[in-house]
Amino acid sequence: MIKRNDSTEKEFLNIIHENQRIIYKVCKTYRDTREDQEDLFQEIVYQLWKSYPSFKGESKISSWMYRIALNTAIATYRKRTLPVDYPDKIPEPMHSDTGQVSQNEERLFQALRTLDDTEKALVSLFLEGFTYQEIASITGITENNTGVRLNRIKNKLKEILK
Amino acid sequence: MELNDLKSSWQNAGGHFKGKTELADMTRITHHPSLKKIRRKLIAETIFLLFFLFIYYDWFDGDQKPLYANLVLVIGLLLYIANDIIGYISVAKPIHGSNLKLSISSYFSGIKRLAVFSLTFSLLYSICLIVFFTSVIHFTREKRLLLVALAILLFQLIFWSFRVWNRRIKSLVEQVKDFDKDENR
Repeated sequence: MIKRNDSTEKEFLNIIHENQRIIYKVCKTYRDTREDQEDLFQEIVYQLWKSYPSFKGESKISSWMYRIALNTAIATYRKRTLPVDYPDKIPEPMHSDTGQVSQNEERLFQALRTLDDTEKALVSLFLEGFTYQEIASITGITENNTGVRLNRIKNKLKEILK
Repeated sequence: MELNDLKSSWQNAGGHFKGKTELADMTRITHHPSLKKIRRKLIAETIFLLFFLFIYYDWFDGDQKPLYANLVLVIGLLLYIANDIIGYISVAKPIHGSNLKLSISSYFSGIKRLAVFSLTFSLLYSICLIVFFTSVIHFTREKRLLLVALAILLFQLIFWSFRVWNRRIKSLVEQVKDFDKDENR
């Protein structure tokens, strides 16, 4: 086991604090309720901390964080398996005490939650601004297929958000 | 909403809601949403089973039972503890590969292996307990029926466990397939 000192922890916490939006967005995309989103947030931070020693800085911090966060969201077992589809209800925001969540943002996350897990991963990376090549490297799906699938997802989202 | 609106909504979502102290707490297993419960269960079960190993010889007349019965009981209990520990380690680390596809595929193989271990160990553990407690019994018809009922109950519990594992494995199979979808086009 790698022994980590205080400065490593400080450095890690600075990175996570600065980039916590990434975790927030993955949680909002992959989980329906606030409780599940909070649980996933903790799970992701824990997994990021566990994998931090193997992060050598060769890739961008955001690529590493997305890879771990999406992996955790897909692999960890969901407590509730029944699909939730309440188009008229906006779920309670994950951080309701600290600010207003825009209506556009809620509509976007509601639409994203209707996609399957792989589609969610692809579109999250695309919306974040990663290139097809970077998305292919994070997901393991070929660049060509990434493009084809993203086109389908974009059309799907356009239909949902019409 | 147009594509640019989607991108801008995505990129502006979230904020610096969590403080560093809260984030630091999240790196500790004592704050983990599911691992802390699994670990607590693992510790409690291990303590209970080790305690049972210390007292069974006096309390359950181990000295009056044949050596093989004592041996299978000890083996059964140790298998149960080993199964708990292997399960905990596997669940605690879902990330294995350098990309999502490899990682999920490797996690799926691990979960499949764990399911086989877990079901086999549960079966062996149950058999070991039955062997120990029935090793010096003089069977009558009623006692045989009771034993059959107990065996059915144990198999039923193992079958339920199989169904839970099966559901989990099926969802991971779907996920692995989904990553491979259209790859050979």
